[in-house]
Amino acid sequence: MAATTYQRVKRGPGWIVLAVVVVALMAYGVGRTDGRLSPAERVESISKRLACPVCDGESVFESRNTASNAIRNEIEVQVAGGVASDDEIITFIEQRYGGQVLLVPKAEGVDALVWILPVVAAVAGVTGLALVFRTWQRAGTGSVTDDDRALVERALRDERGARDDHDEPER
Amino acid sequence: MTAASINGVLGHSALMVGLVASLFGALALGYATVTGDRRLMRTAPNYAWLAGAAGVLASAVMLHALLTYDFDLQYVQDVGSRSTPTLYNIAALWSALEGSILLWLFVLAGYTAVLMRRYRQRLDDPLIAWTLVVMFVVSAFFFFLAFGPTDVFATGAPGVTDGPGPNPLLQNHILVMFHPPILYLGYVGFTVPFAFAMAALITGRVGEGWLLETRRFALVVWGFLSIGILLGGWWSYEVLGWSGVWAWDPVENASFLPWLTGTAYIHSVLVQERRGMLRVWNISLLVATFALTILGTFLTRSGVINSVHAFADGTIGPWLLGFFGVIVVVSLGLIGWRGDRLRSPGAIDSPVSREGAFLANNVIFTVFAFVVLLGTVFPLIVEALQDRRIAVGQPFFDRLTMPIGLVLLFLMAVAPVLPWRKASGELLRDRLFVPAVVGAISLAVAVAVGADQWASLTAFALGGFAAGAAGRQLALATRRQGWRGLVGRANGGMIVHLGIILIAVALAASNGYTRVAEFTMRVGEPVAFDGHTFELLGIEEFETERSQGLKAQVSIDGGQAYAPALTRFLNMGTDIGTPSVRTGFTKDIYLTLEQATEAGATEAQIKVFIKPMILWMWIGGGLVAIGTVLAAFPGRRRRNPIAPVSAAAGADVPPAGADASAERDEPEGVHV
Repeated sequence: MAATTYQRVKRGPGWIVLAVVVVALMAYGVGRTDGRLSPAERVESISKRLACPVCDGESVFESRNTASNAIRNEIEVQVAGGVASDDEIITFIEQRYGGQVLLVPKAEGVDALVWILPVVAAVAGVTGLALVFRTWQRAGTGSVTDDDRALVERALRDERGARDDHDEPER
Repeated sequence: MTAASINGVLGHSALMVGLVASLFGALALGYATVTGDRRLMRTAPNYAWLAGAAGVLASAVMLHALLTYDFDLQYVQDVGSRSTPTLYNIAALWSALEGSILLWLFVLAGYTAVLMRRYRQRLDDPLIAWTLVVMFVVSAFFFFLAFGPTDVFATGAPGVTDGPGPNPLLQNHILVMFHPPILYLGYVGFTVPFAFAMAALITGRVGEGWLLETRRFALVVWGFLSIGILLGGWWSYEVLGWSGVWAWDPVENASFLPWLTGTAYIHSVLVQERRGMLRVWNISLLVATFALTILGTFLTRSGVINSVHAFADGTIGPWLLGFFGVIVVVSLGLIGWRGDRLRSPGAIDSPVSREGAFLANNVIFTVFAFVVLLGTVFPLIVEALQDRRIAVGQPFFDRLTMPIGLVLLFLMAVAPVLPWRKASGELLRDRLFVPAVVGAISLAVAVAVGADQWASLTAFALGGFAAGAAGRQLALATRRQGWRGLVGRANGGMIVHLGIILIAVALAASNGYTRVAEFTMRVGEPVAFDGHTFELLGIEEFETERSQGLKAQVSIDGGQAYAPALTRFLNMGTDIGTPSVRTGFTKDIYLTLEQATEAGATEAQIKVFIKPMILWMWIGGGLVAIGTVLAAFPGRRRRNPIAPVSAAAGADVPPAGADASAERDEPEGVHV
């Protein structure tokens, strides 16, 4: 008896309740913060977007050499000043140290390709998938040769012996 | 002096023997297969044993040279040192380019010998013969690389009696013993499925036979690669001192790219086994996986991309790039040549089916791989086009891969409950209800403990959803079959899913909610941060033969003291920080010593990271390993694996054997 109630819950009402709960939890979770970062967290997130100018492939955040320390101090000063936005601070440091300190390419010129191509790839992938599904669904009823039929029958015999015989493959 | 030349001579000879044996093996086996010469064919195993022995000998000689401080060899001069502990002298075998090529050879020649041993009675089967020919050819290339361009056993400058030892970062944690070999077992191991795919193309037997030969193997090497990558992350966490596990560094990406395509493969292969479809696609994925291992090696070992752990060397670049080109051209040529046979007859009934989910999975993994590859090589492209240096770093990858990861989690939730062929909305509502409840509970817990960003909340909810789906499948399977419900590919796969979900959720938690602060701590003045107190107890000095350093004793919450250190290696001149971590089930407290003046000082700069859920990443890794083993374990076979099934001849009549699957649960997947 309980199982049938459960079945009915699963069919519709349960899902509605779940959806409401999830949306409410998400809204409450996301809504209770103003998204502001502490100064230390801002310094961290900015220094992760900048490359150490003298070492290979490390961010200012990871690296411990003098040049990175200098940049980090610069960021701390600017963050403590509280006027400049993250992007402004990064532009400031870029002007001082040159474009290769940027770890996140700008969306300008050739560099924009690094942002555009993934989107193109994703769109192409989804489109391709949709096309493939359509073609295959249409191709659904392919022609079946006698060889195929023989193969299926042989396999079925092997597999099930004489256990049952009502379930023949299609004519 | 004499002993030294013995190592060099022995090493050179081993490589030469390996090269010749691999070439002869390829020629003999290939020629014998074409002409049907049985006697010649029977000689082929000897070449595999010989090449395998040569691979072992070359590594053993280098190890011997390192352990006996044979400073006449250039490699020992580069990475050997009399004062390095034995353990790290062993690890020095793979701590630079030349040694890593030896490790590659060791694994590759080993796999060739293992394959030969397993199949030596079946060499008259052209599929097997050509597989081994491909293995011989690849081995020959790497023996050549080690012998010629890299010249692993080159003699160094005379008169050197000691060396700097390996990079200091590679000699302060036990994981350097395990991460590279395990990673290579997976990374190099994908050569084997690739060789089978090539053989299938060469022989024209592109049906399912070669898949069945390799499926267990592909799973096992995938497991090694996964664990190897994860151990690398663990090492980074324990050693590098920036408290992260993954930096999207080119070398990391080089190992991650084949993992992505390999993961796509072990999923889509199920569609081919079951439905006979995706033949070209599966072969292409294996080609891509193998080609990406070579391309990754080129990118990181040729000096074109600089990164923290790239071993730059200009001489091998052109060879690796050339080999990559040959692989791509030959593979594409073969696929084109066999195009007619590769066209598979199957059809898909509905996108909302397990095969539909596998296809979606493949598209997502391919896009994922594309994004990672693009980010890795983009600086090269810009430099080639505009002669301008730019960097593409962690924030780029984080931003683009996060949505991909979320979509994958969603798919992990839905796919396992989908039946083959097609699913109705009702069936989905029914089967997904419990997983959705688990997802909602997981979200509620996340909100309760304070998570507040939409991306991480979504990750926690989807993680719960996916874990619910995997757990449901396992529960159904074990209810029906007892402990056997944990064994076999579909069930073991669900355990792997649980592991991956744990890793994903732990990553989301630690990326989103790490708290950092840097303090100038003074003895006797506890500092409070994020609900914990930290007190500097003192600064100690320590010294070994090759390094000296300072250790800060910091007590956490008035309890046990943890000792982050700063070490100066005498012959390197740079300071290496060693973090100290208090591990817990909910969070790790990660301390690094940023600055300290001298022993006995009463003040030190200490950085504190509070990182949630890190431990679960390693537990997830354990589950991945266990799940892979269970998946590779032979499950109960209820049907002939190559019996034709579901060959959608008539749209609505389910073929016998798959009859009730749409109504009833099918946790065993392929075994039903």
